[in-house]
Amino acid sequence: MLKDRLMELFKEYDPEVQRVISEVLTLEQEHISLERPRVKNLVRQIIDHIVQDESGDQE
Amino acid sequence: MKLERITLENFRQYYGRQRLAFSTDSQQNVTVIHGVNGAGKTSLFLAINWCLYSGEGAANVGELISKEAISRVHNGEAARTTVELTFTHDGERYLVARRLEGVKQPDGSISVSGADDFTMMRTRWDGQAERVNNPVGTMNAILPSNVRTYFLFDGEKIDNFAKPEAGDEVRYAIYHVLKLEVLTRGQRHLEEAAAEYRRELKSASSGELRDLLERDEKARDDREQALTRKEELEREVESTRRQIADIDQRLREMQNARALQQQRERLERDIKQRQAEMDRLVGNIRETATSRFVLIGQPAIERALVILDGKRERGEIPSNIRQQFVHDLIDQMRCICGRPFELGSPEHQRLLALMNSSLPGSLEDDVLDTSAALRPFAERARTLRESLNRDMRQRIELLALIQALEEELDDVSRQLKGSPQEEISRLEKQRQEFRADIESYWLEQGNLDTRLDALSKEIAQLEKQIERAKKDKSRQHLLTRRANLAQRAADAIGEMYQVFADDMRQRIEAKTKEIFKSLIWKDSHFQDIYLGPDYKLEVIDRYGLPARPELSAGERQVLSLSFITAMSRISEEEAPLVMDTPFGRLSSHHRNSITEHLPELADQLVLFVTDEELRDQARQNLEPRIGAEYRLEFDRGTSYTEIVEVG
Repeated sequence: MLKDRLMELFKEYDPEVQRVISEVLTLEQEHISLERPRVKNLVRQIIDHIVQDESGDQE
Repeated sequence: MKLERITLENFRQYYGRQRLAFSTDSQQNVTVIHGVNGAGKTSLFLAINWCLYSGEGAANVGELISKEAISRVHNGEAARTTVELTFTHDGERYLVARRLEGVKQPDGSISVSGADDFTMMRTRWDGQAERVNNPVGTMNAILPSNVRTYFLFDGEKIDNFAKPEAGDEVRYAIYHVLKLEVLTRGQRHLEEAAAEYRRELKSASSGELRDLLERDEKARDDREQALTRKEELEREVESTRRQIADIDQRLREMQNARALQQQRERLERDIKQRQAEMDRLVGNIRETATSRFVLIGQPAIERALVILDGKRERGEIPSNIRQQFVHDLIDQMRCICGRPFELGSPEHQRLLALMNSSLPGSLEDDVLDTSAALRPFAERARTLRESLNRDMRQRIELLALIQALEEELDDVSRQLKGSPQEEISRLEKQRQEFRADIESYWLEQGNLDTRLDALSKEIAQLEKQIERAKKDKSRQHLLTRRANLAQRAADAIGEMYQVFADDMRQRIEAKTKEIFKSLIWKDSHFQDIYLGPDYKLEVIDRYGLPARPELSAGERQVLSLSFITAMSRISEEEAPLVMDTPFGRLSSHHRNSITEHLPELADQLVLFVTDEELRDQARQNLEPRIGAEYRLEFDRGTSYTEIVEVG
């Protein structure tokens, strides 16, 4: 899959950055047919969720 | 994505339900659909597009419903069309269906009120079908609508990529098919999110926790030191008092000092008693003073009573004639004496004047109630004032008494200090020193109490501020992490975008060259394909010169086909190639080489062809790869098309 090849490029980045990119790209792909997708809140949800998960892991 | 089956119901010239199964065999991966011009190839091609992506390609959605189906319903009745498509993708099986319904109008046309209905079901591993909640999003993840034209395309229109001015189209195609647009959008939205988090962070950064904690720590240290000092002073006072008591004892034991010492003890007891009286008196004065609102209001209350009493004395309150009585007389048109009068007569005028000057009964009662309520206030104010004056006089007297006693005490001390007996004088001087020490200690204790009170208030205030700042701090910490993460992800995309784009471009260039060389019959003339950073697709001839301007229409079509199939391969999208009349403008040379190689370039190939397009060598080349073949038969008698399986 092209996405796997794409994610391979980011393997040197932190896992949390990789996770954000993977989830945001999936989201963007799902909304690609829209000229002005309303994904702002969804992108924030992804980031909030990943930061929350990381905080949980640290605790 | 691998197409399995399509079912049409009342779609354009396909009346009733018609079904076509695509070849899913990996070796015989070609499905051929024959049809003469007008038989329904393009309609079937449109049905696939419409089912998956709706809208585009159909100028008037009403035209999608079979005319035959419309003709068979009455005016006002509904006619509908449905296209179902079954396909597999990434190990899962999907069934999508799009349905459109319209109401027949008197002029025979169809009025479509709402949007079409799109549903998607997915078959689970256990064979159970489940509805997909976000069918459009899921479809975009499988084969995005903006890239579908590179997988489902009209063969006669694909030479656009090979035209000299087609740089933008090539870039656009790469941008979409190879997910560069997804990367760009992702980067932009992450940067926007990071900027928004930073804005929120800025507005949440008002509390300076470190500064508050430092101030809190200092205030607590100061309080601790003050408490320690206060305890020290208490011990000092106690110790000094003991030393004074020792001196008093010694003076009591000395014959020449005993009388004066005893006098001092009496005086001290007396002063103590008077001071207790003074405390009680001050308490009384303070209590009286808290009721001073009565005293402050006294002049106003007395003035109000004077006014009210004056009005009563002059007979203005209460008035002699009640308003209600005058009102009743006017109603009855009768004078006070009982005689009737005319409207506008002097009697009538007089009663109207009385009406205006008299008071309503309720107001009169209110005035009397107010007078009654104010009188005790005035009385209470007088009592309070007298009590306060008495207490103040007593306080002055008591102060004078205490002062006189203290003077006597000083006199005793002076006598002892001036005693010719040196020991007595020394003890008294020492005693005075101790008394002065105690007073200093008391003064310092008083200052410490004030300081402790202020520090306790400051600490309580700081505790509240720290609590708020901690909440802010925790939120700031979270916002900082979010902003950083969003920015780092956006930066990472930015850093890798060009690497990825260049890699993709070079891979497409190599793949296009490989495919083009296999499809073009003048393979020795065209030496190279070049796809530069400006995304211009260029063919280089044997002389090393750009050859694109001189390409024939067929060669341009082959170049475009090579580019599209190269993108399809490089994109690794699991998608079929569905081509409508792909060989119409090609000579037999190209047709033969394309039919020989094209099945290898796609996982699944669906060709809509005329008989003329696929014959002789081309047919022979494709023959071993054909897994399913259909003929579209248009019935002139009914004007609808039937899908007939060949062989």
